[in-house]
Amino acid sequence: MSAYGPPGGAGPVVYDPMTLPVDDNVNKYTFCVELKSGQWFLQKGKMIAYYGAIEFNGIGHGRLDRLVRTSFHSPLHAIDWVVADGSGKMLLADRAFDVNSYDLDNGNLTIRSGNLLAFQPSLTLKQSIVPGFLTLIGTGKFVAASNGPVVFMEPPIRVDPQALVGWADCPSPCHHYDHGYMTGVMGGLRAMTGLGGASGEEHQFEFVGAGTVLLQSTETLMAEQATGAVPSEPGVPGGGVPGGHGQPPGAPRLPGQLGDLQRRFGL
Amino acid sequence: MFRLQGSKVLAVDMTGDAVKAKNGSMVAYDGQMAFKKLSGGGEGLRGMVTRRLTGEQMTVMEVRGQGTCWFADRASEINLVNLQGDKLYVESSNLLATDAGLRTGTTFTGLRGASQGNGLFTTTVEGHGQAAIMSDGPAVVLRVSPQYPLIVDPGAYIAHQGDVRQSFQSGVTFRTFFGEGGGEAFQIRFEGDGLVYVQPSERNTIAGDV
Repeated sequence: MSAYGPPGGAGPVVYDPMTLPVDDNVNKYTFCVELKSGQWFLQKGKMIAYYGAIEFNGIGHGRLDRLVRTSFHSPLHAIDWVVADGSGKMLLADRAFDVNSYDLDNGNLTIRSGNLLAFQPSLTLKQSIVPGFLTLIGTGKFVAASNGPVVFMEPPIRVDPQALVGWADCPSPCHHYDHGYMTGVMGGLRAMTGLGGASGEEHQFEFVGAGTVLLQSTETLMAEQATGAVPSEPGVPGGGVPGGHGQPPGAPRLPGQLGDLQRRFGL
Repeated sequence: MFRLQGSKVLAVDMTGDAVKAKNGSMVAYDGQMAFKKLSGGGEGLRGMVTRRLTGEQMTVMEVRGQGTCWFADRASEINLVNLQGDKLYVESSNLLATDAGLRTGTTFTGLRGASQGNGLFTTTVEGHGQAAIMSDGPAVVLRVSPQYPLIVDPGAYIAHQGDVRQSFQSGVTFRTFFGEGGGEAFQIRFEGDGLVYVQPSERNTIAGDV
């Protein structure tokens, strides 16, 4: 035993490569991944420490071409991701947010791009048709961060846009506006500006069908990852084709972006 | 005697002895307490000048009395460290309190410090007793042993103790300049025998961007 332990077993737990958990949480905010000459995809800068021999390479690294071809289909996110390659144990954390791992068994899950921390290459990462979200397909483990613990809900459900982390196995959500929100120019203005007594809950995302919806227990969003632009083609939601109805159903509406409401009121 | 009350408040039970704590970090006390500001971290004139020159300034107060005193700082997580004659290296901004019997000082860290954006110097705490260090999120304590060296991201490192050698390793390659770097371009490698404290969060460093 080393001399630097706390006396009498009191004090903090000291971890070494033997006692660190395998692909599990060390505490609520730190996750340990074991690599046995394997690979994991992770978001840049989320590794806090590792034991062993692990190499970190950008997605564009030539040797990883085959891996990227089979598991990474989100070219616009490529600069945010790296591949950890080697043997050892690696600790992941993200700005002291809660981290959790989830297992997908031949399933699919869509998640806000800023919340996804790492995933096994047995999963395939694709860009969701909903801007700002990523979809994981296949079987394997992934690690996601959330602001506060994650709650699981079942559709039918309406959720606050800021609390939504992701959803699994159910269709993409649609927007839901409370009736009062849509009546008259004043109602619209009130809801948009918050002046004159809006409750702040006039707008929700509505989920239907069978599946699971993941919510975080706060309405403070985690910083978004830049998701880039999708190809500018007719029929691609958010493709920015002039004259088309750019906003797809289910796109998170950004503050200050009025979209179809703007047209409706002739503003 | 240091103990944690929750994870963000440090309670110190005192019977006429003293602790050194970050200036202004007292949140409550009962009993009789006297608070005295220690200029230059209580290291005398030489320490004061060294700290001024090295940028490792810390404003420290000495708390002496009978009773219990509670300390906290910006709701940071607090971690207790036991020192038995070994040396703790910690950034002055992460040090909350130490037993008055512990010696504090400054030491040169070289490139590691620079990569953390914390300057080239760090604070040392030496002797027998307890210290409390702060972190953003609860710290994970990792053992470094001769057969298992540890590599740490500079932004997540907060402190280490024991007989540990550290070296700076860089993964900067030509790819970094094309924006295809591994995202972990700067790392600190710890070898030897000791403990390293890492926090589940990364400070903003130059290393974070490449």
